[in-house]
Amino acid sequence: MADRSPLVLAAGIRTPWARSGGAFAREDAGHLGARVARELIARTGIDPGTLDEVITGIAGPPHDQANVSRVIALRADVPEHVPARTVARNCASGMESVATALTSIKAGEASLVLALGVEVMSRYPLIFSDKASAVFAQLSRARGPAGRVGAFAHFRPAMFAPRVALLEGLTDPIPGLIMGKTAEILAREFEISREEADRFALASHERAKSAREVGRFAREILPVLPLGAREGAAALEHDDSIRDEQTLAALAKLKPVFEKPDGRVSVGNSCGITDGACALLVTTEGRAQKLGLEPLARFVSWAWAGLDPARMGLGPVYSSAKALDKAGLALEDMDVIELNEAFAAQVLACMRASESDEFGRAKLGRTKALGTIDPRKLNPNGGAIALGHPVGATGARLLLTAAHELIEKRGRYALATLCIGGGQGGAFVLERIES
Amino acid sequence: MIDVAGLPRPANAPKAGACVRAERPEPGLVELVLDPPHRTLAVFDLPLLCDLDAALDVLEHDALLRGLVITGRSTRQFAAGADIDALAELTEPALLARMVHLGQQVFERVARLSRERRGFVSVAAIGGAAPGGACELALACDFIVLANSKETKIGLPETQLGILPGWGGCQRLPRKIGVPAALDAILNGKLYAPRDALRFGLVDRTTNPEDLLRVARGIAMGREKLEHRERLLARLAVDRNPLATRFIAAQARKAVLAKTRGFYPAPLEALEIVARAPHTEFAAGFAAEVEAVARLGTGPIAKNLIRIFRLSEDAKKQKLRADGSSAEAATRIGVLGAGVMGRGIASLAAERGLWTRLFDIAPAALDTALAEHRAGIAEKRARRRLEKHEAERAVDRLDVTRTLIGFGRCELVVEAVAERLEVKRAVLGELARVLERDAILATNTSSLSVAAIAANLAGPERVVGLHFFNPVKKMPLVEIVRGPKTSAETVQRCAALALELGKTPVIVKDVAGFLVNRLLGPYLDECVRLFEGGVEPERLEALLFGFGLPMGPLELLDEVGLDIASHAAAALHAAYGARMTPAHALSVLLGAKRLGKKSGQGFYVHAHKPGSKDKPRLSGDLARFAPAGGPRLAVLRDEEILDRALLSMLNEAARALEEEVVAGARELDLATIFGMGFPPFRGGLCAWADTLGPKEIVARLERIAGEADIAARTGGRERFTPAESLKRMSQSGARFHA
Repeated sequence: MADRSPLVLAAGIRTPWARSGGAFAREDAGHLGARVARELIARTGIDPGTLDEVITGIAGPPHDQANVSRVIALRADVPEHVPARTVARNCASGMESVATALTSIKAGEASLVLALGVEVMSRYPLIFSDKASAVFAQLSRARGPAGRVGAFAHFRPAMFAPRVALLEGLTDPIPGLIMGKTAEILAREFEISREEADRFALASHERAKSAREVGRFAREILPVLPLGAREGAAALEHDDSIRDEQTLAALAKLKPVFEKPDGRVSVGNSCGITDGACALLVTTEGRAQKLGLEPLARFVSWAWAGLDPARMGLGPVYSSAKALDKAGLALEDMDVIELNEAFAAQVLACMRASESDEFGRAKLGRTKALGTIDPRKLNPNGGAIALGHPVGATGARLLLTAAHELIEKRGRYALATLCIGGGQGGAFVLERIES
Repeated sequence: MIDVAGLPRPANAPKAGACVRAERPEPGLVELVLDPPHRTLAVFDLPLLCDLDAALDVLEHDALLRGLVITGRSTRQFAAGADIDALAELTEPALLARMVHLGQQVFERVARLSRERRGFVSVAAIGGAAPGGACELALACDFIVLANSKETKIGLPETQLGILPGWGGCQRLPRKIGVPAALDAILNGKLYAPRDALRFGLVDRTTNPEDLLRVARGIAMGREKLEHRERLLARLAVDRNPLATRFIAAQARKAVLAKTRGFYPAPLEALEIVARAPHTEFAAGFAAEVEAVARLGTGPIAKNLIRIFRLSEDAKKQKLRADGSSAEAATRIGVLGAGVMGRGIASLAAERGLWTRLFDIAPAALDTALAEHRAGIAEKRARRRLEKHEAERAVDRLDVTRTLIGFGRCELVVEAVAERLEVKRAVLGELARVLERDAILATNTSSLSVAAIAANLAGPERVVGLHFFNPVKKMPLVEIVRGPKTSAETVQRCAALALELGKTPVIVKDVAGFLVNRLLGPYLDECVRLFEGGVEPERLEALLFGFGLPMGPLELLDEVGLDIASHAAAALHAAYGARMTPAHALSVLLGAKRLGKKSGQGFYVHAHKPGSKDKPRLSGDLARFAPAGGPRLAVLRDEEILDRALLSMLNEAARALEEEVVAGARELDLATIFGMGFPPFRGGLCAWADTLGPKEIVARLERIAGEADIAARTGGRERFTPAESLKRMSQSGARFHA
């Protein structure tokens, strides 16, 4: 008999978000993902052999773990008969894994799925240039010392300048724009000043710091002693990108990084490059009950939307419109809104776009504005500017944080949404479960 | 025909010819399969040797024979070595000499086939373990092919049993791989995995188990041409160069003496024979092997080592149920408490393949546990003992947690939290509610009773003591302590777990100190009193170290921790009364903040840098801890000091046996060797006692009990008054071991 009970987020856990090149610099996506997977399995007490699938979202999988989800599953002692797949949708990969899981469950193909979002940006590779690669290939084909000397003779020092995969990965090849530049376009179009962006960034840090101090993230975070930790190091317990002493003055001093000298986007009002992993258990309400679990929230609706890649930062507006329509709800019905802070200017642009009638009519095909994003409901515990944005993991964290915030506030609905490099947006609507 | 009259023969020996099957897979090739029906594992006992001899006899008369393969009954089993049971029983050197000579002759017949026939090739095709005699048979063949499987291991471990390879191994191995490598193999007695055995030339080829026979036959029939490693230069420069071999032998002798401290003659004798082998005729070399084995094998040290070997093999049977099936070791365990013991147990378990969850309320303790575990794995990886993916898996298998959630799927939980009854009962009680009903609740307590911890816990049949020793990874003993309601199944599962962790289990009763700590108590206390009485610390340490113990008593106290030792002594005193009355010196030292190794100073001053190789030195100011008004014990003779220290331990052992704390003297011996490092060459505490004899022991104890300082101090008489069982033995002439 098919289980048509509502889809729920049964449980979730994440590592702290660590600044790239820092605490998690020697970590590995397989190891980190397996850690949260094992912990979630242990805490929920489920038999991992009853999982229907393990799905992991990751934007930059390690070259030697192409299906990192399978590696994570096996390293988490999930029995080998449970299949696993890796999914990608750039910055929303952590949400894509959940959407994929839910679609499977809706289709009757699954009932209990472990969905993860993982990213270790510290380990993005440096790549040899094409010229250097050609010489290496010639070297490996060379026969005898003469051939090898001949191949060596073609090396030039300039060939050793590596291509930085991180930078290239954050650049959209279609418009030829790095992500920060798309935020600059929006900042100009929506007349967002440098100062407004800096203020928003400061608020993100202040809120994140408060949240950390009241233990708001304690429910979500699993302290982790990372691989390669120094001797005597302690486990990382908190997101370590939060700047406790951030000031407007310090932010103002930073030069614009993507468009000099007049840009509005600096490293201070952009999200941080970070490493982290998050595991979520998704299933139906009926199944959760059978397993003795108290779910965190119901999934009401979700949606993906495509838009102009050069203005990808508005993705949340497009996708939220679709998700809200599917749910039959309005923006004002949301008690909590998690909108990923890729760039302060980008978030501010989203706010202006959603409350603009003209934008609603011209771009969203509506009769009027989508609605107002109440700043008091938006990212109440800080966002990616303070916490960091491990690309493939963020989507999963937004869902987890939104669910917990709904419970905390005893609200009814939450919206979790983000922009996606390449010109997309993703959005989820969650509902608190009355106990 | 060889003369077998009077040689030991197993009781269930089959009829002649049953042990070896001769198969002819193709013309010109004979395959001899070692398949004795009376043994689950083939052993070179008299029937097998005779049948092999008879089979070779047939082959010698087969003029058309070109190739010979010798193999085991399957690719997972070749043969064990000599008949250890028979060896244990042999007491006459002349008989043992004949057994040794017999094996030599039979194996020599194999070697002769190749010598006397042009183009004849013999191949040993081995899958499974091939220790000792099995390896020597293989060496008599032209080539050795090994199956590449986890259970395949080959080597010459005879020196570990107090003898040396006597079936041609000392002659053939150095000729095959050179003197230095042969010395390494024989003196260390290691069993090599296929990759290593191939690397240094002990074997000539490795292949998959499925291809073992096909490849062996191909080599025997000349389809695959293997070459012997050309070692001409090494042979001339080293093996046949008396100056070089003398130098190498001297180096090896130094290394052996450093390890054995001169207590074990077998490696030294093996060294001489092996070093001389390349310039000794086979006949003389074989004769030297016979003489040495006959003498060493009937001597007390070999007898003791063999007995210990058999005892530890027997200890493995403790995981068997009454119906002969084997209890399973847990695959998923929880460890509560990340102190020294807890994190040691957790790391060991994770290393050995168990999914392990470690709890502690202190985050720093968990960080240390993980860091140490990872460092240990990294070190193994650096030494190439682990592949990369194995190292990753070993790291994955240890998870830590600051709360007691997530233990629901553990099949066994062992607590190693603070030695406080309420704390232990609290954590185990909490877990008892979430674990499966048949999950085992184990305690690593050393000073509390299992019964007290188990009281009112749901499912008392699954509550048990699982007592590891410090340091967990090094100490081979685990005491399994039966609580009042502990079931046999629980005990068997614990034994299975201990074996899975590479430990030797001994089952003990739930009494104070269990077994090992109860025996150490009076021994260490008596040594402290000798120190208090003015015996120089250097002398005290040297005497006990010279007896064969791994370290002197004062160093042992420092290792254990003077606080722990003091606490343990108090517990023994409370439980057993006057005879365990503790000396004062420990509390005085503790008062001066000297805890031993952990605080940098106790009786010794310990190196500050971790990993430093500096040996600890005795503190220069120890005299002030020996009270001025005490007895003057420095005048005691060496034997008197040793007697006070060791006989106090023995007396307590006799009482423990009376109370059936362990099954018997054999188990007690095993526990003393693996739990406190009692010298193996002495066979264990009871075996050593038997060399004195009960009459002598009782006489000495009574004499000590009557000495002025002993009689004057509280508990002195009680400690040294001979136990009842000793007095009975002294009258009847019985010994600990029949």
